[in-house]
Amino acid sequence: MAEVTEPFEFRQCISILKSTGKKAKDLRKLREIITLISDECIFHHTYQYFLKGHILEYTNDFAQWAGESLEERALSEHLSNIDPYDFKAINDLRNKLLEVIDNYLENFPEPREAMPGDEFYFNETVTFIFPIGIRVKNLAEFLTALKYVDVGAIYYHFFEARIRLGAGIDDFSRWIEVALGKKELVDKIRAIDPFMHTVEGIREHLAEAVEDEVKRGMEVIDRCLTSL
Amino acid sequence: MLNQFIGISPKSDLLLLQLLGAKLYKRSFLHINSTRTGGGVAEILQRMIPILQELGIDARWEIIEGDPVFFDITKKIHNSLQGNPEKFAKKMWQYHYEINRKNAEYLNLEADAVIIHDPQPAPLIEFKKAGLWIWRCHIDLSNPHTQVWDYLSRYIAKYDATIFSVAKFARAIPIDKFIITPSIDPISEKNRGLREEEITETLNKFQIPVDRPIILQVSRFDRFKDPVGVIKAFRIVKKYNDCILILAGSPATDDPEGEIVLKEVREYAADDPDIHILLLPPFSDKDINALQRIATVILQKSVREGFGLTVSEAMWKGKPVIGGAVGGIPLQITHGITGFLVNSIEGAAFRVRQLLNDPEMSRRIGENAREHVRKNFLITRQIRDYLSVWYSLQNKGRSILEM
Repeated sequence: MAEVTEPFEFRQCISILKSTGKKAKDLRKLREIITLISDECIFHHTYQYFLKGHILEYTNDFAQWAGESLEERALSEHLSNIDPYDFKAINDLRNKLLEVIDNYLENFPEPREAMPGDEFYFNETVTFIFPIGIRVKNLAEFLTALKYVDVGAIYYHFFEARIRLGAGIDDFSRWIEVALGKKELVDKIRAIDPFMHTVEGIREHLAEAVEDEVKRGMEVIDRCLTSL
Repeated sequence: MLNQFIGISPKSDLLLLQLLGAKLYKRSFLHINSTRTGGGVAEILQRMIPILQELGIDARWEIIEGDPVFFDITKKIHNSLQGNPEKFAKKMWQYHYEINRKNAEYLNLEADAVIIHDPQPAPLIEFKKAGLWIWRCHIDLSNPHTQVWDYLSRYIAKYDATIFSVAKFARAIPIDKFIITPSIDPISEKNRGLREEEITETLNKFQIPVDRPIILQVSRFDRFKDPVGVIKAFRIVKKYNDCILILAGSPATDDPEGEIVLKEVREYAADDPDIHILLLPPFSDKDINALQRIATVILQKSVREGFGLTVSEAMWKGKPVIGGAVGGIPLQITHGITGFLVNSIEGAAFRVRQLLNDPEMSRRIGENAREHVRKNFLITRQIRDYLSVWYSLQNKGRSILEM
């Protein structure tokens, strides 16, 4: 298998949680606090949602709270439809959240309160990024590593990368494009919808796509043998 | 010792532990609480200190000493912070401070980072010499008695940061408030893998039949753990499925209500041969471990709970756990994925029946449960988080830290 000059180095992120001390018991309070809280807090409750390994009923903490604690199902669906990667700045995402809440409040001005203890707790994180000591030079090594690394590494390269690189691009497909030039595999990886899978699900889809490509490479040798 | 966690803890936790260990190499790290034995805090510190030392960190653990009057006051503080009304006089606070002042005279408080555990030693902050001081609160502060919290928070506000176990326990104070969930030690007597003969020994000791599925709840005989509710749920299940129930717990000698609750439980069980009420003496960790490993379904039907770490202990054994949707239990159980959350006796009975009738579902949930604990509730993650807090306080103002 061809080796490349630019290897792929796996990294990982781990976050520790910090409380802002703020909480909301109803939608109006939630709205008020969303206007005030830090970008890091918005980031945590939206982008980092997938790190938490939830069931795929929602796509961010605000939607989950609206659905589970307020039982405002329609609002929860509206909020779940927000794709944070559509926005260039966190403030734009913040405005979108406010717009969705405002629209809902116009139609339902008296939303219910969450039960005591079920309020929305605004948190943020400190994120540690570190290399995990795995460097790969070809697709077969990449596939082995992909199956071996912790989910935090998949999250970092597939989800977090989208914020760093923009335009819906992740680290994996970028490396495969730049270093290996495998356009078809790149398209397959970029077609994986990050919202429709858990991080483990993403790992499975990535591994499947890469394995197909590796097998195709092996079949070329098979054909060579049969022609002898 | 750290080697024992290879193949158990997530690789990334062990790696980050080593990276942080290198950054904080030879730095001093002091933990102070009020007891060396008994309770979850002492249990975790006993295991944590040697691991920190192995990482090259100069870790120490000190305790403050006090007389019965002091511990009576701190018990009252503890209860009030958990929302139970207690009468408080100013002289009690003065005594609390005075005992801490005396302890400060002989304790070596010099360290690069100091973690003070719970309210008992909180006033030691007044004797801070240098370093970063962090107050670690292990108790549920979601609904404290306001006056007591207001007084205590005068000390807490002087710390560099606080650590709470659950976001909803955190109070709005103007210092950094980190959230670190508690953890279990997978290689301790309570959680290590057991040999077949070790399990048989426990079964023989308590004369537990193994011819039918076993429903188990391990907890103190305390109304908040709803043992009578568990029996009621069991009786509903028995109409449909033949099984036995084990209620195992300590007699709770420090709790006068414990005896009354135990009596109620015994009366309610009414000599039913399929209900086994086991009074376990202290240090029954291996027996608890064995009981959890032979159970088919494990309950933690609490109606009020702190974090409820017994849930993670049961989940670690790959068992489906049905827990009350209170305290920290929903953080451990994702409903339908890593267990079931219930809000009533009927709900608990329904989920037990569901699990007894669908062994494949039981197996799947049990597997998810163990993996969830592996990723989130092992001691290596908690040590990683303590060091992360320390390192992030050294790099204050930065939300992303490249190692």
